[in-house]
Amino acid sequence: MKHLRIGALFSAILVVAAACSGTPAKSSTTLVVALPGDIVRTDAMLTDDSNSSYVIQQVIEGLVGLAPGSTSEIVPVLATALPTVSKDGLTYTFTLREGVKFHDGTDFDADAVVYNYERFRTVPEGLQDYSYYIGAVFGGYGDSSNLESATAVDDYTVEIKLKAVSSNFTLTQTLPVFGIQSPTALALGLADNSEVDITKVTGAQGGAGAMVGTGPFKFSSWVVNDTVEIVRNDTYWNTAAIAKLEAVVFKPVAEETQRVNGLADGTYDLVQVIAPADVATIAANTGLQAIDRGSSFNIFCLQMNHTYAPVSNPMIREAIAYAIDKESLIETFYAGAADVAKNWMPMDVQYALDLELPTYDPAKAEELIAASGETDLTIDFWYPNDVTRPYMPDPKGLFEAISAQLEAVGFTVMAHDAPWRGGYLDDEYAGAYEMWLLGWTGDWAGPDNFLKTAFFGYVDGAPSTEFAYKNNKLEAAMNAALAATTDAQAQKLWEKAQNLIRADLPTVPIANSKPQAAASIDVKGFVGSAGLNEYLNLVYLDRAGN
Amino acid sequence: MARYIIRRLLAAIPVLLGLSLVLFAYIRLLPGDPCVAILGQHRTVETCAKLREHLGLDLPLWQQYVNYLTQTLSGDFGNSVINALPFTQEFLVRFPGTLELTIGALIFAIGAGIPLGRLAARRVGGWADGLITGISLFGVSIPVFVLGLALAVIFGVALGWLPTQGRIDAHFRFDSITGFLLIDTLLAGRPDYFVDVVRHLILPSVALGSIPLAIITRITRASVIEVANEDYVRTARAKGLAGKKVDQRHVMRNAWLPVTTVIGLQVGGLLGGAVLTETVFVWNGVGRWVVDAIQNHDYPIIQSTILVFAAFFLIVNLLVDIGYAFLNPRIRY
Repeated sequence: MKHLRIGALFSAILVVAAACSGTPAKSSTTLVVALPGDIVRTDAMLTDDSNSSYVIQQVIEGLVGLAPGSTSEIVPVLATALPTVSKDGLTYTFTLREGVKFHDGTDFDADAVVYNYERFRTVPEGLQDYSYYIGAVFGGYGDSSNLESATAVDDYTVEIKLKAVSSNFTLTQTLPVFGIQSPTALALGLADNSEVDITKVTGAQGGAGAMVGTGPFKFSSWVVNDTVEIVRNDTYWNTAAIAKLEAVVFKPVAEETQRVNGLADGTYDLVQVIAPADVATIAANTGLQAIDRGSSFNIFCLQMNHTYAPVSNPMIREAIAYAIDKESLIETFYAGAADVAKNWMPMDVQYALDLELPTYDPAKAEELIAASGETDLTIDFWYPNDVTRPYMPDPKGLFEAISAQLEAVGFTVMAHDAPWRGGYLDDEYAGAYEMWLLGWTGDWAGPDNFLKTAFFGYVDGAPSTEFAYKNNKLEAAMNAALAATTDAQAQKLWEKAQNLIRADLPTVPIANSKPQAAASIDVKGFVGSAGLNEYLNLVYLDRAGN
Repeated sequence: MARYIIRRLLAAIPVLLGLSLVLFAYIRLLPGDPCVAILGQHRTVETCAKLREHLGLDLPLWQQYVNYLTQTLSGDFGNSVINALPFTQEFLVRFPGTLELTIGALIFAIGAGIPLGRLAARRVGGWADGLITGISLFGVSIPVFVLGLALAVIFGVALGWLPTQGRIDAHFRFDSITGFLLIDTLLAGRPDYFVDVVRHLILPSVALGSIPLAIITRITRASVIEVANEDYVRTARAKGLAGKKVDQRHVMRNAWLPVTTVIGLQVGGLLGGAVLTETVFVWNGVGRWVVDAIQNHDYPIIQSTILVFAAFFLIVNLLVDIGYAFLNPRIRY
């Protein structure tokens, strides 16, 4: 009987607790944001993933940044204006904002900036695995770094010298990885390049010296895989933009459904990205809002490797481009939240042209196939079976629809699938696939990031194993464009490069997706950006509505 | 007794060694490696090769195993290859979450299972017995994650009665001291937060506790029925002892034995079930951590977590066996 009583008592406790919906009223000063994954490190330089960047950009600021809502409009942040560039295109002079302090009280001045750029130039070998962007933007480290020097001209003027002209320099400096961190904190966190073992760099691990910048929020704590907390910087230099919120808590939630459910029950106030399939759910709930980011910052392509027949035949590739009904794919799989691709990069990227790519025309596709002379129309076609990507919300569904459209014009599709991290990415990269589904999310809004880095740049002087697409003129044009000293010159060369790609149609661009955010209707002031450069100091909570 | 315990602990060594080998081999057989997880869309052949070298993944497999073994034996459980944080530190952050959930599930399973089992035994063949037996059959049959999702959808999303994600409302910001939120909230003097933690605990505990509940109910029922039919129970009743006394002194004392064994075994099963439950309820525990580690091919984390779980399982079983001796004076080791 005693146990019965204990059981009854326990049940009673449960019932009472459940009935006690008397939990405290929802905080109107703390914003809880669901991210698709956890941050990886707490040091801007040693970061190359979008979740870390999303948090870091609230805390650490660069000399320049992107305007709220834009993926390409460069604005001065810790500099008072955009840099002046010397005639030879090699020296950039930044005038710094005065009276700014880092969160640890250290003064922000020319010495601090020089310290940071010196750090970018001399990343020790053991840490280079984690500083992708530094290597990608400067082409290497030490002697192979394109960064010649950073010097303090006076307390608030810095001169940055490059070895070779790089027309994308200012744009790349808007990336959160180039944020300026407190030299004191970097030294404290062993993130001053003195420690080569990442496991001991506490500044990157959420420990001493972690994430000390000048931004509107200060880093507070990180419980790995559970919570990142940042709190308001009451002494933010930009007094007009002091955060309205007291704190922001980031929660990593990998499952799309869980993010949306959590938003509906009040667990989260803001969900950074939702699946297209959930847009309708959000719309049907009067307590929630979907947030359209306006433009796209990614590209989804039907990829092909030119070592395989028949896709090695340009006429076949053109036929494939005509065979695919991009509009219907967008309608079905993106809930309309995507644009038909007009290029191998989204249209917000610098110098992007409408390349007038083939539109759906199955009759034209059949004609091209007949004229191509190819008789074996069998294509090995792959899709990843265990992921969704922002540019590819339903790989299997997209695969099936595209396969059906290809078969409708006479191709025979051999269907294959592989796990994303368990072979798919490795194999497509090594050139094992004839045709596959893959896209790219932009790092910075320069054409080099898409056309060269993501797709068709040569690797070690030869076409990549991934696409085996050989076009020496294109490679030369892209390199010349990066070395251009004037905007007009860069533009001309990038336009040439785009037209060269258009003529070859090496792969078939399909869509630029526009992943939406969703929030409780209490969330106000949020400015979405396709590049995820979203500044939460502008956000406030208005709980009065509920 | 001491000799028995030492013998059992020594016997655990080959078990754990063997497990470490099987585990190591199995994890390396999974296609892919951590390179893609770490470098993502920015990987190149060169950066991958360099990374593999830094992580020691380019060494022959046997050498990797020897390195791993010597490291582990020296008390170094390795660092995550994703964020480079040490296993031990991160495990200790999460273990309280898993323990809180496991204890919640056990309280639910024992607290409801034993009374239900006794009730069913007392009315063998009656409608209550049928109902309880039916429910427990349902309990063992339904996978934890299905039940978890169903509970979350019904009581969380549809009815809005209980929270379905996390251990506490993330809007409440307070410093956790022990990692056990039930304790920390009280230490912080926030009974309202405590209630919130309990509310977060209910659905995951029920989901995770469903299988043990079913098993405990059935074992209790069977065990009570068996003991109740023993001669000495009949004798006790015949000599006029009160029903309650017979129940407590004669029936339950003996019926406890199989029930204890089963509870001990269930603790190990709960750790396994916690992996699924924590994933469904976005619970920050060891289970959800290991699922993420598997997805990221985070070898050191997977290996060390499972090894620690196995050691934990062996220890719990040993404690159960020792517990026998106290419950049953006839058992002496």
